Amino acid sequence: MSAPLLLQGVRILTLEQVHALPWGTAFLADLGAQVIRIESVEHLQDRKAGPFPNGKAGAEWWNEGGHLVYYGTRNKQSLCLEVTHPAGKEVFLKLVKNCDVVTDNFRPGTMRRLGFDHESLARINPRIITLSSTAYGYTGPWRSAGSRARTVDAACGMSYLTGYEGGPSVRASNNYMDHSTGNNVAFALLLALYRRQKTGKGMRIDLTMQETGVSCIGPAILEAQHGIKRPRLGCGHLWKSPHNVYPCAGRDRWIAIAVSNDAEWVALKQIMGAPPWAQDPRYDSAQGRWENRHELDQKVADWTATQDDKELIRLLQAHGVCAGAALTAEDLVNDPHLRQREFLQEFERSPAVGRRTFAGRPFRIPQLPMAIRHVAGLGEHNEVVLREVAGLSQEEIRALAADGVISHRPRAEERAP
Amino acid sequence: MDGILSEVKVLELAHAPSGAFCAKLLADQGADTIKVEPPGRGDPARHEPPFIGGEPHPDRSTAFLALNTNKRGITLDVEQAAGRSLFLRLASAADVIIESFQPGRLTRLGLGYEALRAENSNAILLSISYFGQHGPYANYKGDDLIAQAMGGYLYAVTGSADRPPMGTALQQMELTAGRNGVIAIMAALLHREQTGEGSHIDLSVMEAAISTPSGLIHPYSYTGRSPRRGSMDRNVMDGMHLPTRDGEVTLTTAGTGGRPMEVWAEFLGEPRLLDARFATRQSRTDNWEQLRELVAPKLAQWNNLDLMRETMAKGLVIGLVQSPEQVVDSPHLAERGYFVELDHPAAGTLKYPGPGFFFDGANPMQSTRGAPQLGEHNAQVYCGRLGLSNEELDRLRAARVV
Repeated sequence: MSAPLLLQGVRILTLEQVHALPWGTAFLADLGAQVIRIESVEHLQDRKAGPFPNGKAGAEWWNEGGHLVYYGTRNKQSLCLEVTHPAGKEVFLKLVKNCDVVTDNFRPGTMRRLGFDHESLARINPRIITLSSTAYGYTGPWRSAGSRARTVDAACGMSYLTGYEGGPSVRASNNYMDHSTGNNVAFALLLALYRRQKTGKGMRIDLTMQETGVSCIGPAILEAQHGIKRPRLGCGHLWKSPHNVYPCAGRDRWIAIAVSNDAEWVALKQIMGAPPWAQDPRYDSAQGRWENRHELDQKVADWTATQDDKELIRLLQAHGVCAGAALTAEDLVNDPHLRQREFLQEFERSPAVGRRTFAGRPFRIPQLPMAIRHVAGLGEHNEVVLREVAGLSQEEIRALAADGVISHRPRAEERAP
Repeated sequence: MDGILSEVKVLELAHAPSGAFCAKLLADQGADTIKVEPPGRGDPARHEPPFIGGEPHPDRSTAFLALNTNKRGITLDVEQAAGRSLFLRLASAADVIIESFQPGRLTRLGLGYEALRAENSNAILLSISYFGQHGPYANYKGDDLIAQAMGGYLYAVTGSADRPPMGTALQQMELTAGRNGVIAIMAALLHREQTGEGSHIDLSVMEAAISTPSGLIHPYSYTGRSPRRGSMDRNVMDGMHLPTRDGEVTLTTAGTGGRPMEVWAEFLGEPRLLDARFATRQSRTDNWEQLRELVAPKLAQWNNLDLMRETMAKGLVIGLVQSPEQVVDSPHLAERGYFVELDHPAAGTLKYPGPGFFFDGANPMQSTRGAPQLGEHNAQVYCGRLGLSNEELDRLRAARVV
């Protein structure tokens, strides 16, 4: 019998889709909270999102996607309940009575239309914590705007700051904003639970992706108020050089080298075999190296271009030069360091999918394991949740199933992805 | 509302942005946070350009100001025996200690987890390092770029398919590590409430980088292909940045009810968008240059904020590619009360980003102070908290311990 998990007994009801909020609630699920993810047969996009084995959706595709394991329904329960149906709404409100937290990522206004706004829920359960994760928040002129992770990457200022040197702005990532926001969701919920433990009080949390994004570019926000322009520099640095990526032997192989001071530059020169060009006195100072960085980058690139990236890391690091290769997913899955640290986790959701590899959490707390223990299939927990949390009888549950208010598989007409 | 963490005492001995950011997130929620810096130069971030006012000044680096709000600052030389014993005294009263030395260094100084536990049996120690506390790379040097590289982010995420990796701006891997750090610390605090037991947390920036894009490890495991950057290069309607009169915008086909070209042709007043060349996602990619030539001049007639308002009214989804200036001046963020204005003796009054969440409608980052000047709170902490006399503090100063 293993020790109880940290958040055992904490119940979270979550109306979540896509990325940021599911990523956030997954942390609490890992820590042992009973996270009940409410799904709908009308909106199965997350279950269609894959990735599927070899890119092909299988017979039970709705339970086979990899993102479900990584964050979607990892360590959560799945209740497939149509909350827009009057009977479904009634069930939802019964669940709220016995839950600690309700989270959603609908656009502002939807929860109110459903009758699930904070005030209504707090009347049923005065200690309730609610969290709405949106792009732009519940107030302000942009509150009703739709979004994608990419549009928020743009609106928060991150995209503007990202680009090759001298080039146009580019979105910084496909879902960095989702994950930063999800991490912020987990932080905010843990703060709220911590406070409730001390005070007994619930609260309403209005959390936004745009504002999380702005909090990722703090220095640029301060600079903007004094008219200081931060240039786009790709992998380059505002004042260090050589500090960039350099080509290595093979197709699309790169090494990042980050020289921070004169001692590291001297070490790099020696490793390069003290070539005559490197003795140029312009390179002796940090400022000189930076001002002549394009030329310097080219010289370093000429030296790295014929070398094996992984051997070069070992060589540079052994001599105190900060360096790392641009590793691919394949490299990482086979990486001896990550293996030794037991960072990666093998997990088999079902025989049809087979054993697959997943990234772990970047932190280890010896007493608090955060591995993937279970991944919920669609509607897998309908019965247990409705019986134990909503207090419904077997007959009531059967009636909901007969009326299509709860389901455990897609409708017959649903097309496979 | 008082800060939620106002009863939590945090001691930060961080030399990297990850630890500073992590401690700042706690300090912004009210944690009583003391930042310990080496005497003389202080946190290396104090010397990083750019500086408010232009000239180098240890209290005016934007990197330092942004990552150290709401902390008190002291100087202490932990290389000296007297400094170590003072550190242990401070640690004995702390709930959370955050450090970002090279792995093993804290232990060699005699300040490792076991030593801290001897002083403070339920201490929570968060050790942040680029590669983690153990493993073959544990002693490698790192920085944000190296973490992007070794964390798979550089190869797979930002940049064009036919060009070198681009990298992301403003040390995002450091920040994402800090954001994971506060989750770990909150969990450890709750665990301590339940059991009375502290913990030692090992946080790796490389691993934070890997866990950040969802399209990395498991997509490879499912498909056998390593994800690669550049997937959005030629997409006018769903990816590219296009100029407006006063900025840039990125369009999407969302909110168009599955008829993106009809809806956008009408909105932009450009019927040629209905041409069969642009009818499908694939044909739009094939003919992306022609499509851009039609869309760009229309968008160039719009101001950003007008375009946002009008598209929003029609249910269309766009993203303004805002500059930091436009973000600071955003009417939306102003109405929400997102920015927190802080006065600072060396940097003046500036708006700082809030945490990204409001509790019961209020910005929880309140009644706050700007980043500490070097050694600003020495007397307050050493005399106030540790009960040293002014003479003792003077002696420590003379010995350059403080």
